[in-house]
Amino acid sequence: MEGIAIRVTDVHKRYRLGVFGGTTLAEDIKAWWAKVNGRPDPRVPIGKEHVAQRSGEFFLALRGLSFDVHQGEIVGVIGRNGAGKSTLLKLMSRITSPTSGTIRIKGRTSSLLEVGTGFNPELTGRENIFLNGAILGMRKHEIEAKLEEIIAFSGIEHHIDSPVKRYSSGMRVRLGFAVAAHLEPEVLIIDEVLAVGDAEFQRKCLGKMKDVASSGRTILFVSHNMTSVRSLCNRVIWLQDGKVAMDGPSEEVVTAYLRTYASLNDTVEWTAEAAPERARAFAECFSGT
Amino acid sequence: MSNASASERETFIGPDGPWWKLDVAELWRYRDLVWLLVRRDITAVYKQTVLGPLWHVVQPLLTSFMFALIFGRAAGFAPKEIPGMLFYLSGLVPWFFFANVVNKTSKTFTANAALMGKVYFPRLAVPLSVAISNLASFGIQFFAFLVLLIGYHVFDPAFTWSPSPALLLLPVLVVIMGLLGLGAGILISALTTKYRDLSFLVGFGVQLLMYASPVIFPLSRLQNFPMLLTLFNVNPMTSVIESMRAVFFGQPIPWGGLGYTCVFTLCILMLGTAVFNKVERSFADIV
Repeated sequence: MEGIAIRVTDVHKRYRLGVFGGTTLAEDIKAWWAKVNGRPDPRVPIGKEHVAQRSGEFFLALRGLSFDVHQGEIVGVIGRNGAGKSTLLKLMSRITSPTSGTIRIKGRTSSLLEVGTGFNPELTGRENIFLNGAILGMRKHEIEAKLEEIIAFSGIEHHIDSPVKRYSSGMRVRLGFAVAAHLEPEVLIIDEVLAVGDAEFQRKCLGKMKDVASSGRTILFVSHNMTSVRSLCNRVIWLQDGKVAMDGPSEEVVTAYLRTYASLNDTVEWTAEAAPERARAFAECFSGT
Repeated sequence: MSNASASERETFIGPDGPWWKLDVAELWRYRDLVWLLVRRDITAVYKQTVLGPLWHVVQPLLTSFMFALIFGRAAGFAPKEIPGMLFYLSGLVPWFFFANVVNKTSKTFTANAALMGKVYFPRLAVPLSVAISNLASFGIQFFAFLVLLIGYHVFDPAFTWSPSPALLLLPVLVVIMGLLGLGAGILISALTTKYRDLSFLVGFGVQLLMYASPVIFPLSRLQNFPMLLTLFNVNPMTSVIESMRAVFFGQPIPWGGLGYTCVFTLCILMLGTAVFNKVERSFADIV
């Protein structure tokens, strides 16, 4: 693990499709009793016994994902909805565990899947800074040392001693990001948090993240905003169907990604030979050849 | 936490964990979080109320008063030598402590699903903080009991109280109650993520359990009902409440029962932590 901050090895995550977990105790005991006696699970519909065993009722959100991230790298993760980005983040944040495979992360890790997690509406902004910081893994004295800086960054000095329930949604987000931005983890995992606040605050956030990155920390950044991915990351991993579709320098991957999913409204030009298969088929369809 | 040791730390995320694990070191690292959650529980509840923390005392006092009237005076269940208020308060204060810890910790996962689905922290910090904040309200109620006890001693000529060395057992009783409630609570909280049925059961289940404990009348009244006596003795809270009264009103302490309760507490804590561990790894997919 020399110089490697994150190592993801052959990670699979399987979810069950359909209704589950909503069972009652009685049903589960019946199912367990049937299993003990070697009879088929009574919950499985007739004629579907084989399907359930062949994992046809499951959905693989991640199928054999592997990659390494070096210390100090800022890696963007892109991909369409359902490609497995959020699942990957949830596994790395230890919110849920993988079905198989391992993830190793070196150093203190913080993940921001949402800003302002754990705010208590009855407590004041100041009290919530401490609570939120502690939830994210900060010690009390660390928060105290940065309290003034956090309040100044949030830009809501006048409201800091009012209960958070009286805040506007924008104020909550500002406060949440201000706390998060002052964490000092070695590895930072961020999901789409920049899609909040006004333009000026977004610029401020991006600037802060660049600061954090330049101090040698590792950042894993998931976003749909290609502009911020381009400007922030030096390497991008493109996920597709739970696997790595492409991994390389930001410009290359983002360009390839945009080319693949460019919508009809965008103008994309290729030479006849270089055009991807889909575009060629599309063109043929209209030219009638 | 120094930076050196922080950077050496490696997080390993894999599919299977050990069936029983209690990461005390990690909980200790998050001790500020536990403390803040305790403070949140205590202060946030009483914001925008007039009586504030006094609400802690109102419930047991009024309940004791009603019990003293109905079960004590009308039905004659309480022993004659102890004032009714004192008899019932000495049973209800520990009972409320236990019941609140069970009720509130059993909601750990369901009440904090949004938070736990977004950020990792040792999940045990939540039930632990609930137990500690209930310990604070137990402290306030217990203080009210002491005030009343001394009040009766001074103003009621029929009742005199003298502290006995058995009072030293009190902290042990409090710890047993807290751990028992915590163990039962985390076990139920882990099970409710899958079986929502349980959350309906817990509320009145704990209430019903009170009637199988010596809160309303002393165990000695059951001497002619061996079946009931056995049932009461199965309830691990029985010996704790009997001891609580024994400590204050100079009766023999039921050591055998206390021993049973200690073993029961250890078992339920082990089982609770095991099931809790299993659930915390996957609950985000279920809830």
